[in-house]
Amino acid sequence: MMLFRLLTLPYVRKHKLRTALTVAGVALGVIIFVAMRTANDSVLYGFQKTVDRITGKAQLQITSGDGGFPEEILERAQAVPEVEVAVPVIEANAGTGKQGQGNLFILAVDMTGDRSLRDYDLESGEEAVIDDPLVFLAQPDSIMITREYAAQNGITSGSKIALETMQGRKQFTVRGIMKPGGLAGAFGGNLAIMDIYAAQNVFGRGRTFDRIDLSLKPGVSIDQGRAAVERALGNGLDVETPASRGKQFESITKIFSIGATLNSLFALLIGLFIIYNTFAVAVAQRRPEIGVLRSLGATRRQVRGLLLIESVVLGIAGSAIGIVLGLAMARGMARYIGTYISDLYGLAQHTEEITADPFTLSMAFAAGLVTSVIAACIPAQKAAQVDPVSALRKGSHESFQESESRKRILGAFTFASIALIFWFWGGKSGFRLLTGYLSVVAAAVLLTPAFVRLLVRWMRPVLRLILPVEGALAADSLMQAPKRTSATVAALMLSISLVIGLGGVANASYASITDWMNAAINPDLFVGPSEQISERSFRFSASLGDEMRAMDFVEEVQSVRTTRVRFDSTLVMVVATDMESLSRRAHPKVIAGDARAMFRDAAAGKAVILADNLAMMHNLKLGDTVEIPSPAGILKLPVAGIILDYSDQQGALLMDRTLYIRNWGDDTVNVFRVYLKHGVAPEAGKRGILEKLGDRSRLFVMTNAQVRAYITKVIDQWFGLTYMQIFVAVLVAVLGIVNSLTVSITDRRRELGVLQAVGGLRRQVRQAIWMEAAGIGAVSILLGLALGAIILAYYLGVIRDEVAGIRLEYTYPFGIAALMIPFMMAVAWASALGPGESAVRASLVEALEYE
Amino acid sequence: MIHLNEVSKQFAGKKQVTALDNLSLHVPKGEMTSIVGPSGSGKSTLLNLIGGLDKPTSGTITLDGTRLDQVSDDDLTRVRRDKIGFIFQFFHLLPTLTCLQNVALPLHLRGWSQAKCDERARELLDLVRLEKRLTHLPDELSGGERQRVAIARALSVYPPVLLADEPTGNLDSATGAEILRLICDLHARLNATILVVTHDAAVARSCQRGIRLCDGRIVEDIRQ
Repeated sequence: MMLFRLLTLPYVRKHKLRTALTVAGVALGVIIFVAMRTANDSVLYGFQKTVDRITGKAQLQITSGDGGFPEEILERAQAVPEVEVAVPVIEANAGTGKQGQGNLFILAVDMTGDRSLRDYDLESGEEAVIDDPLVFLAQPDSIMITREYAAQNGITSGSKIALETMQGRKQFTVRGIMKPGGLAGAFGGNLAIMDIYAAQNVFGRGRTFDRIDLSLKPGVSIDQGRAAVERALGNGLDVETPASRGKQFESITKIFSIGATLNSLFALLIGLFIIYNTFAVAVAQRRPEIGVLRSLGATRRQVRGLLLIESVVLGIAGSAIGIVLGLAMARGMARYIGTYISDLYGLAQHTEEITADPFTLSMAFAAGLVTSVIAACIPAQKAAQVDPVSALRKGSHESFQESESRKRILGAFTFASIALIFWFWGGKSGFRLLTGYLSVVAAAVLLTPAFVRLLVRWMRPVLRLILPVEGALAADSLMQAPKRTSATVAALMLSISLVIGLGGVANASYASITDWMNAAINPDLFVGPSEQISERSFRFSASLGDEMRAMDFVEEVQSVRTTRVRFDSTLVMVVATDMESLSRRAHPKVIAGDARAMFRDAAAGKAVILADNLAMMHNLKLGDTVEIPSPAGILKLPVAGIILDYSDQQGALLMDRTLYIRNWGDDTVNVFRVYLKHGVAPEAGKRGILEKLGDRSRLFVMTNAQVRAYITKVIDQWFGLTYMQIFVAVLVAVLGIVNSLTVSITDRRRELGVLQAVGGLRRQVRQAIWMEAAGIGAVSILLGLALGAIILAYYLGVIRDEVAGIRLEYTYPFGIAALMIPFMMAVAWASALGPGESAVRASLVEALEYE
Repeated sequence: MIHLNEVSKQFAGKKQVTALDNLSLHVPKGEMTSIVGPSGSGKSTLLNLIGGLDKPTSGTITLDGTRLDQVSDDDLTRVRRDKIGFIFQFFHLLPTLTCLQNVALPLHLRGWSQAKCDERARELLDLVRLEKRLTHLPDELSGGERQRVAIARALSVYPPVLLADEPTGNLDSATGAEILRLICDLHARLNATILVVTHDAAVARSCQRGIRLCDGRIVEDIRQ
């Protein structure tokens, strides 16, 4: 520690900028890791907390995905001897139509029995409303709201508030205001309670409930209770504890989690090179100091220890800063993820606070620290091996030994072989992709010095052609300091490859989804109960479809009911529609099976058609039998075909509407797909429908173009986080090159001084530095674009096999690559401006004395 | 050739240090002059000012008719490039360049063609008897050989002025004597104006003129 205080602290004080850039190298990786993981955890925690608040004392819940089930299930549940209380619930998200107030989450319950499960802690004087539920029930426009919401909107008991319902905007009377805390704390207070039978009516639920909450008789365990209820209701319904509902949510956020972990690891890897570079140069620069130490009796261990302590301190500083900034960033990201999930999955979500998981923070801290120490290991070892006599000689420098180059190439060959073996013969496990991916990165890094030498040699004539003296000086400097150049190039190469990989995924996704939209999204109009196609709080009655069919400008109407069912512990989407009509109208890309046969069997209710991603994720093939839970029991049907379909990230399962109605007892409709007669303009059709039905029911008519724009917007939202990660990758790249050039120029201060002393003009020295930066940029771009091509293949593999089962076509993102070239060259040049200027303006006498 | 008129140089810091105090000096063309004196007497500062590496706080310096205190930074560099050759105590060779490249560096900076640079560098390395070390890196040479490369580099443009700061200070006595012989030989053959800062009595003795500095002033100026 004494050595640290005597030697390290003055060195750090002298090289503040370099130290700051190194710390930033660690911090960036930690920031992404902490921000993404914490945002995910917070969304999950928020969801779980909401579930806890709104389920009250319920010990078990009966659900059927998110589709609901017929009312008679309630009587059967109440008749189970082990059950003490069973109360029905409907949940809906209702717009208030007021700017900035958001939606109100409607919890519709049966007030006569619900108080035994949930505590409606009302303001004094209003208890009578609940004490005598008939007061509440007798008036179907009754609603209870939270004090928080009431205070925000100046509402008092007896006030009227308007809500969007299936019957249009409807006025409700506030007949109770709940005190803060408990149930009233869910959704940040944006919660309202209403009668379940009134909700069935206004939200178009027909004679169905979304859920039944249960409490068990004293002495009955959860397992006993669940077994008894499952026996009584059959196995088509889910009987779970409220806590397990959070698990379903995990599979949705997993998509964010995997990407974030992968990218933060990548960022840390880039940080590793930045730190390695700094330490390698620091050791080279402090060789005389180390030589003095060794000659004064310092052991190799003490020298090694000194460098490692420095790396630990830098690692701690970088990790701590990364954690603080990561937590700050997590808040915005949690809101983003929450909104995205809410929009796409129709799951009402309100992330109120950030949950800093000690495990995540410890992992991040350890990752930052370990990265720093690993990066410093080789330089520390080199420092320990310094020979005191040669270290005290001036003018020595480091270069690659032939044996070292051979070892690197051998290592690269080994890693490349591992990657190839795992790619072709590694089976389908996630381990295969991860091992291959890491092996490719390792091989690329090991090969970097060889490529750098080769490319710079080729580039030398070009640089000389541009500026004869400066170009030659720049090329020579790059070639003759291979370690310094290689570490910088490796960091930049990794950043660029990450951008190509992520950008390639985005491009492939847009291309594939556009193809799918062209094949499947071909109705002229879509009629839904909300501007958001994914919204499932409201449903239409089937008769509305018949009314549209009767319109003289309408040729055909497909009624579509979408719902989620539990399938191998994840929630997948069931799309129930008229399969015969669909087979005539839509022309999806068939992955497996015969198009005519699969639609024929599905239309007959004898089979289902799976989306490719569902088949991939659950390893299902043509002819396999799938088991779909429904209120009528487990539905066992063969897979008649597999098609390309991006209706849902978790996977979709297509079945005929009659089969759905028969098994779910639900003939409501989420969306009508409307085909207009030849010659009828979509806008005219839209006007026609709104004129005839607009005043009778809440409905939104969207043209084909609007639906496509909506889907594109959802994809944009999804890639919003990816773009942010691309931004961080570019930031790391910029940091890498600034760090390297600063380090490199400081390291060569005397050299640059000599250059000026022997006649180099400021302009020449400055331009030589710029060209050196441009050379680093050009080599990094070439290698990064090439590595990106391989990284992209791995990303597509991870998306296909691990994340979403989506088979995206490999297309190299040439557009992004073309943008990266001028951008990175500009970044390289801009990064050289500051260090270059400080080098040419420094005192020549000081520079010549610099060691 | 070199004319200093009432030149002073102060270094600012916690405490201001006067390195040169109102110093005047004239060195005619072709003279080989030694500058001696104790540490801190201002020898190296004087050489840095004459070489245009630093600027005086006051006074004027004229080199071959050019007022160094009045020219721009780039013009000063041109003066260094075309008229001055530096020989440093620690050689200051670029470690990543070979002997040939180090010697050719000032020529490159003048914009000479590669072939012309190589030809002249070979010629100079031949002159300092290092024709067999063309592709060696400085690390691979002995101290004396490195200094010979540095001398070859200093001579690359055949400058009229050669400034040497302790050229034998980092060498053993035998090698030092060898380097001294080489400098004297070059002086005789090229008729260059040479200023040598030294602690070495043998080096001082071999010069035509000896200047002794103390506390930034000339205390002795002897022509032998």
